[in-house]
Amino acid sequence: MRRVTALVSFGVLVTAVVLAPTFFTHYRLFQLALVAVYLVALLGLDILTGFTGQISLGHGAFMGVGAYTTTILVVDHGWNDLLTIPVAGVVAGLFGLAFGLPATRFAGPYLALATFAIPLSFIGLLKRFPHFTGGGIGKNLPQLHSELGLHMNPSVWFYAVCWMIALVMLPLAFGIVRGRFGRALRAVRDSEIASTANGVSTATIKSAAFGISAFYCGVAGGLYAIGITYVNPDTFPIDLSILLLTGIVLGGAGSLYGMVFGALFVEFIRISWGPTILNGISRVHHLDTHAPGSGLVVYGLILLVVLYLAPAGAAGVVRRLMTGRSTVAGWSKPRSTTPSDPATGVEAP
Amino acid sequence: MAQFLQTVVSGLALGSIYGSLALALVLIYKATEVINFAQGEMAMFTTYISWALITHHGMSYWPAFFVTLLIAFAGGIGLQTVVVRPLARASVLTVVMATIALLVILNGAAAWIWSPQLQFYPSPFPTSSWVIGGVHISKQDAGTFGVVAACVVVLALFFRFTKLGLAMRAGALNPAAARLMGVRTSLLLALGWGFAAVLGAVSGMMVAPTFFLTPNMMQAVLIYAFAAAVLGGLESPVGAVTGGVLLGVMLNLITQYVTFVTPDLQLPVALGILLVVLLIRPSGLLGRAVVRRV
Amino acid sequence: MKKTFLLIAAALAVSAVIVVTAGATSSATPGVTAKSILLEGTFPLSGPASGYAPIPVGMAAYFSYVNAHGGVNGRKIDFRYEDDGYNPANTVQITHKFVEQDHAFALVGGLGTEPQQAVRDYLNQNKVPQLFVSTGATTFDRDFTTNPWTLGWQPDYEAEGSIYGKYIAKNFPTAKLGILFQDDDYGNDYLRGLKAGLTQQHLPQIIDAEGYALSGNPPATQVAKLKASGADIFLIFATPTPTIQAYVISTKLGWHPAHIFTNSVSATDAFLTIAKKSGSDNTDGTITVNYLLDPANPLYNKTPGMKAYRAIMAKYAPKANANDGLNIYGVAKAWTTVQVLTAAGKNLTRAGLMKAARNMNFTVKAKKANPYTLPGVDVRTKGNYQFPIAQVQLVQYQNNTFKPISKLINGRGA
Repeated sequence: MRRVTALVSFGVLVTAVVLAPTFFTHYRLFQLALVAVYLVALLGLDILTGFTGQISLGHGAFMGVGAYTTTILVVDHGWNDLLTIPVAGVVAGLFGLAFGLPATRFAGPYLALATFAIPLSFIGLLKRFPHFTGGGIGKNLPQLHSELGLHMNPSVWFYAVCWMIALVMLPLAFGIVRGRFGRALRAVRDSEIASTANGVSTATIKSAAFGISAFYCGVAGGLYAIGITYVNPDTFPIDLSILLLTGIVLGGAGSLYGMVFGALFVEFIRISWGPTILNGISRVHHLDTHAPGSGLVVYGLILLVVLYLAPAGAAGVVRRLMTGRSTVAGWSKPRSTTPSDPATGVEAP
Repeated sequence: MAQFLQTVVSGLALGSIYGSLALALVLIYKATEVINFAQGEMAMFTTYISWALITHHGMSYWPAFFVTLLIAFAGGIGLQTVVVRPLARASVLTVVMATIALLVILNGAAAWIWSPQLQFYPSPFPTSSWVIGGVHISKQDAGTFGVVAACVVVLALFFRFTKLGLAMRAGALNPAAARLMGVRTSLLLALGWGFAAVLGAVSGMMVAPTFFLTPNMMQAVLIYAFAAAVLGGLESPVGAVTGGVLLGVMLNLITQYVTFVTPDLQLPVALGILLVVLLIRPSGLLGRAVVRRV
Repeated sequence: MKKTFLLIAAALAVSAVIVVTAGATSSATPGVTAKSILLEGTFPLSGPASGYAPIPVGMAAYFSYVNAHGGVNGRKIDFRYEDDGYNPANTVQITHKFVEQDHAFALVGGLGTEPQQAVRDYLNQNKVPQLFVSTGATTFDRDFTTNPWTLGWQPDYEAEGSIYGKYIAKNFPTAKLGILFQDDDYGNDYLRGLKAGLTQQHLPQIIDAEGYALSGNPPATQVAKLKASGADIFLIFATPTPTIQAYVISTKLGWHPAHIFTNSVSATDAFLTIAKKSGSDNTDGTITVNYLLDPANPLYNKTPGMKAYRAIMAKYAPKANANDGLNIYGVAKAWTTVQVLTAAGKNLTRAGLMKAARNMNFTVKAKKANPYTLPGVDVRTKGNYQFPIAQVQLVQYQNNTFKPISKLINGRGA
């Protein structure tokens, strides 16, 4: 049953991806390409947060590592941009692993705050070594252009590349979270103590999850750099890491298909929906839609409303519609019903 | 030597500010196990309120200060009731996300209401300094340190010697048992937010004369407050303040004496030290050691 | 197995659709109709740089004023701007929207060195004018051969730094200089300019230069080091908040340098007043440069430019704080834009607009000087000289206001 649902969902997604270019303008396709980029990043983060239960506030920096890897290889070493993508993933993955190994000693909120240090340190390091990274002024990449002898609009080409990669990374993520390894991940999330007792090495599992999630973010970062055609420290602020976590929560932590909704939200909320809503309000109330801060207020309110309506994210809503039940595994368990370990904040099973 | 002491002194003032915001974080964390990302912006917003009271409503400093504390207390309770309580049955992650939404809204609202322009914010203390052995101790910094210390003492006395304080400690330690004993935990949670908001307001009003009032004034402070709270142990109010002061002094000493550490590396180095501390003591300097029941 | 098949099918289908949908663009000038011209720009309306938000307000006010008086060659200017939060990734996306979705005729006034750097190649490749960017980074003026569709506007940071250098070399040839600078391209542009202005001979006058990071703490240790270095001239090349902090910290440390030079971005009446109110007694005597009429300075109240500015702001941006110099910056920039659009003629094309922008002659001599700049400041470009505004005047802060202490100086030596 679950397998059929998964295949049907995948089919629907693929059809939507294939048909989108007939309905949307080049600019919208450019945005939808970035949706694919965010999707890849969110899939990675979901493996860590949704499936393994480790909150990260730093994965924007792993996107940054991937983006800088791609940029430096393309700009300073003349690589073809597509060939840099796997390298970007691997380099970011190694960074993730390196951080994950010691970080596995931290529990709950300590880990979350430790990951907060990654993007902050990343920005400082970028500025400290300007000969390598371009410093504050950053580096420009070549403009988007179709390759492989095709003569496409650059935005459409970018759309095709991003979605082809996303549609490989999605089944791959399914492969990771199913099977023995996936069971081990969920065991760590649901009860670290019990899984240790059952012979699962939580440290190994957690750092592996860190490495995998960083690999995904690195791939996304490489694509991001190719699309944005520019990297500098301002491009990877702490906000990006938080935005990714927002995507996980709104998509539904612990659901891979939910990440498609999360990615749509992440891309469209600030750039498109916020301004549109503000313009709508201004017609009624004559508010100054360009007032500094007004965009943030609208963004924050939308986020809050969505959290109330769907505390378990888009995936939770879908599941409720399909099954009539609102119970969702893992992170969405009600907090107050289970006593939690007061020291670590980790819930008892 | 004078230079060394000068560095330490200016670090102490900075550190006490980190410490007061870290203390607010710890209060909410102890009560609800949620890290409140909006803590800094709540502090910023209440500081704007005090600024408006002084600048637009002609109040003098200290009355405005205490009125602001009352507003902050009510505001903290209000936010807990309106924003956090409806999510009582949602996951920790969802609640954390709600505090992030709150951060965004407050930041935007402050810019919207009061404009993002830098504003002058008065200090109740004179700008002059005492000079002791070549070291300039600014009265403003000393005042900041004193106000924060007073807050910590008042808070400690409250938790130690009042019935309400005791109930709050019980509620944080074991919500289920406290509820069974007839303690209204939902009220206690709201009070916890109220007290945290008051502490935040204090740190905001102490920060503003040095950092100057803008909607983004508290963002850097919040990051250091996080670090301070983790350094001291998220469970420990004393640890939060100690962590803040240690961090302030340490950062200043590093910038002063380690030449490899350019200003850009200051934050990474501070956070690196923090990670090392965590590796040795996973629950911070003064947090309870976690016994892993394996 | 099934998944692999699906994947290949998907890939093939995607490529097929793409080939079908790749269309051609129309040949008419984008963003220009018989009645309107669409101009757009990105500005930080949120985040740490949102203090610059009054700039587009001033621009919009001036465009409204022009529209109410008949527009440009019979066309009304439709000026739209959006928030990029100073994140270049947002700037890129919004700029794609301006060009591909809205079909803007030109982008005007886009703010920030890094955000504008991020979209420069894209705009040049698509031959969309990137006019009068709101940054003083030298590259936007200097590198016009590689970026023919890009042009700056204000005096560049390097030129400003060199003016301080020359002034010090001439007037204080033996003073010891201590510099506080933002350790990024912004601060380093100033530092480079200063060194060029001092010339090799006076370079040893710099006895200490301390950097700070934008995201960090108040520069307390840095100022203490500068004091300890024995410097008697304090140069501050910083953004507003650290600048004010530097004034207050130096007072707290009991350091009273003989002279303080502060870059023009931060040395405004508003910021120096805050420093003074916050207890610094070091603000008096501060030397900086200026090139615009300063609405906070009563010295210019009688000039026709200031009167016109007040009238425009009162009518078209009544809620704005007209005493904020950033508004007049926007108005002066919008004035230049309107002049260039007018010069580009009735038959408006992007190439025509750039041609007009590369040959500006809005000078006193031509009786077409910008009324919102200081009297005598020319806005001029020609051939290999593409620094629209290069003249500034040294001014000194005394008794809560700035007084001119020099004639206009051309920072580009032309």
